[in-house]
Amino acid sequence: MLAISSYKKKDLVWLALMTMTLASALIAESAEPSLWVTLAIAATVMVKGRLVISRFMELHNAHAYVRFSMNFYFYVLPLMILIVYLFPEFIADLTRMSG
Amino acid sequence: MINIGLNTSKWLATGSTDSSPELLPKAGRIPGNGAVWVGIYAEMTEFALMFIICFAAKAHYSEVFREGPSQLNILAGLLNTLALLSSSYFVAKAVGCVRMNQVNKAVHWLWGTIAAAVFYLLVKAWEYQWNTEQGIEVDTNMFFTVYYYMTFNHFLHVAWGGGAIVWAIFRLKRGAYTPENHEGLEAIASYWHMIDLVWIIIFPLLYVLR
Repeated sequence: MLAISSYKKKDLVWLALMTMTLASALIAESAEPSLWVTLAIAATVMVKGRLVISRFMELHNAHAYVRFSMNFYFYVLPLMILIVYLFPEFIADLTRMSG
Repeated sequence: MINIGLNTSKWLATGSTDSSPELLPKAGRIPGNGAVWVGIYAEMTEFALMFIICFAAKAHYSEVFREGPSQLNILAGLLNTLALLSSSYFVAKAVGCVRMNQVNKAVHWLWGTIAAAVFYLLVKAWEYQWNTEQGIEVDTNMFFTVYYYMTFNHFLHVAWGGGAIVWAIFRLKRGAYTPENHEGLEAIASYWHMIDLVWIIIFPLLYVLR
């Protein structure tokens, strides 16, 4: 089996990141807002973030606390994107200043 | 993967097709050093607060946040995203080259990072100018207030992060980084990746999601 070095794997990651970015721009230009579009964008943010964290920052085999905290960020943010889309009134009520 | 004699507590050699084996760090380490991670977490927290403000503003001003992205220059946003992701890739390749003791190649990759950063800054300046010509200002509405607050803050990070990359080039040319010890370069690389990671979130929040 052909083993790809860590150095060469970065080329594939870069290609994947470029492709996902172009797809996001296409969505921005053409698609109307919907749950599926929001879901696709949130998933893209998660995958792009995790690719950079794991392959460029090289946290895939780093200290567990560092790896977990950085990955956690890219689970929570896409989730928040979805929550704001699904429950805007709830978020507005939660953040309304009284008086 | 085979273990080689050089500082084996920290590094492993991997089978690479390049001239020298790439010394890969062992599992469980902290890339760079602890100090840079304090900075990275501080920056990520700062931007997390901005994202929370953005989410709250979007919930309160849904109409302007729905219209806002389509009023922005999507080409500028796209070019900036491609430039930053590429800059992150260039830095990662430079670190890989240092591990294979290919210093000149590493310097070229880092200059590529600087070129991408300068391109980003120029595109962002053009985008702000373009906004002004369209009558878009900081106080046009809540969407643009959040947009300027977030993107200008990020702009500053790219500018001083670029300064750190120039410092890394200077140190690399002076022989400060070796395949066995390039902690400083890893620290600067980690910081630069953080700047890229933040933009990965900013781009869809401001340019894509309506």
